[in-house]
Amino acid sequence: MIRINNLTKRYGDTAALDRFCLKIERGIIFGLLGPNGAGKTTLISILNGLTRFQEGEVEIFNLPLRQNLRQIRKRCAFIPQSLAFYENLTVHENLRFFAGIQSITGRTLQDSLDRAISVNHLQPLINRQSATLSGGEKRRLNIAIGLLNNPDILYFDEPTIGIDPESRNDILNTIRTFKDDNKTVIYTSHYMEEIEKICDEVAIINHGKIIRQGKLKEMLQQEGSNSAIIELHKCGPTRLDRISKTVTGLRVLNPDTLLLSPQNSGVMAKLLTILEREDISVRQIRYQSLSLESLFINLTGQEQSDV
Amino acid sequence: MFRAMLKKEFLLIMRDRHALAALFIMPSVFILIMSMALKDTFSSDRAFINYVVIDQDRTAISMELATLLKKNRLLKEYQQHISSKKQLQQALNDDLTFAVTIAVGFSKSLGNENPAVPLTLNVASDVQQNVLRLFEGELTGILMKLRIKALLHKLEPALPGISAKTDARLLDQSSLIQVRFNDLQNSQFPTSTQQSVPSWIVFGMFFIIIPMSTIFISERRQNTLMRMNGMNISIPALFTGKIVPYMVINQIQVLLMVGVGIFIVPLLGAAPLTPGNSVTALLLVSTGLSLAAIGTSMLIAVSVNTVEQATTIGGILNILFGAIGGVMVPKFFMPPAMQSFSIVSPMSWGLEGFLDIFLRGLGPRAVVTESFALAGFGLLMLLLAWGIFARRTGKGL
Repeated sequence: MIRINNLTKRYGDTAALDRFCLKIERGIIFGLLGPNGAGKTTLISILNGLTRFQEGEVEIFNLPLRQNLRQIRKRCAFIPQSLAFYENLTVHENLRFFAGIQSITGRTLQDSLDRAISVNHLQPLINRQSATLSGGEKRRLNIAIGLLNNPDILYFDEPTIGIDPESRNDILNTIRTFKDDNKTVIYTSHYMEEIEKICDEVAIINHGKIIRQGKLKEMLQQEGSNSAIIELHKCGPTRLDRISKTVTGLRVLNPDTLLLSPQNSGVMAKLLTILEREDISVRQIRYQSLSLESLFINLTGQEQSDV
Repeated sequence: MFRAMLKKEFLLIMRDRHALAALFIMPSVFILIMSMALKDTFSSDRAFINYVVIDQDRTAISMELATLLKKNRLLKEYQQHISSKKQLQQALNDDLTFAVTIAVGFSKSLGNENPAVPLTLNVASDVQQNVLRLFEGELTGILMKLRIKALLHKLEPALPGISAKTDARLLDQSSLIQVRFNDLQNSQFPTSTQQSVPSWIVFGMFFIIIPMSTIFISERRQNTLMRMNGMNISIPALFTGKIVPYMVINQIQVLLMVGVGIFIVPLLGAAPLTPGNSVTALLLVSTGLSLAAIGTSMLIAVSVNTVEQATTIGGILNILFGAIGGVMVPKFFMPPAMQSFSIVSPMSWGLEGFLDIFLRGLGPRAVVTESFALAGFGLLMLLLAWGIFARRTGKGL
């Protein structure tokens, strides 16, 4: 469905994407994770033909992107993070306008409008001026506009930002239904639990490169079974930082918690010896399955708020 | 696609009360106010020079001089009695402009080869030179008539009846001078409406800068343009979708303001607008002006980042174009250097075009230069806007 090979995009001397490779299969929900400046937005912009790239190959629907941009765009939709519609128009006028500029007419127009409205539960709001909608309703309209051309690929850039949990659940459920229609969804979000909830596959990007990619469940099992969280009685962060440098795979999660991943008996024994020598007492050691958030922090060294 | 874009743009404008006020109400109100305010400036019935005649001679000739001055509709006789030098000085310091003193013996000496008793003209210290020259001219004309009359009386014994034959013709100025305004019919004369309607049409048309650029910037900042770009909307299509509706809005403005000039202004006591004879010429100028205004709007819209910047720059540019181009102060009031400089403002070209149509009653041939200059200016601005926008689009808007 999407094949990216050695894609390089530079802004001056800085490489936003550096020989980036990725393959996304049809009919899955694919999560794109990475800290700010990792290259997520650049990647989505390139896939939508909104940003040019210097090197590499991008193929969508087995068609080279550069030569077939118009054709590819007709089968894709980009749902931006911002509410990209007209607040002074009603819901219906907005949908009619975006259908109109895509030359969707006649019977297809009615079908497209019906589908976009029903999937996003917009029927009761159809004649409301968009400015008067709630945050969640506006997000649903933003998504509905993306569905008008019945796309095969949908790019979502943080579609649930700033809305209440109920509306967020609604939207996530809607996105999950796209998979049943064999559509491919590329999804970026600040919320790890959303990615865990709806994505089949995930790529974690940092500094313009993929640092981990795969099926989410497999990735968490593989990384999580091999990790340990060590809770300590209070000690100074400076000492922990010093210790973390001496043990491979050890990270300081907070002033009294360490994460060891991957762990094995040899590394664990070494860590415990060092802690004893430093007179730091261990409160608890937990061997547990890793959350996506912990994995993300582990791999990128970033807190969630930086994503 | 264009239908959708046109409909969207109209709906957005129609729902923006501030934009509607700026585009339609503001210029209409300006036309009404300025037509009323300048009504007397263009009227020949307005007396605005105060004068008094102090007749010490008290003869038929001196009284005739006073009568002839009264006939001039630009002059207004001072109502307060002046009997002393002190009173005269006080009056000249107040609102009296000229005092003509006819000394004893003036009438007698008038027919002499070298009159021994001249008129004395006292002038207020703040009088403008052109007003002084005007009054002097009027006074000289009257003196010449009276002097010729006096000389004819002297010739009466030699040529009986000559005074009676010449009198009527001497006093009838219209038989000597016929005033014709350039390019107007004999019965036509310029009015404040003929001057102010073209000015405020031009100014109002350029006011689309503000709604047009603010809508465009909002679209850009909300990523609506990026979304449209992702839907295969090209820059030419996007620009055309903007240009066409605003051209229609500009034409509606012209119709509305001409209508105000013809139908509403006379209700308030000013002269109605005479719309000229050529719809084609009107279309040429208004289309050229529209392109110039739209081009300027698009250039501002793609160059700045915020709505606040667009409204500030758009407002300043509009007022500057208007002030330089003769919208706020008619060009004939400007000194020659300013009149030459006014050519830098596209509003000046549009104004000249409209004045050709409304004031001078000319047709398409007379306005073709202004129209093409305006269209060229507009296209150049659009081209620049396209270049800047294409660069920004390449960088992800």
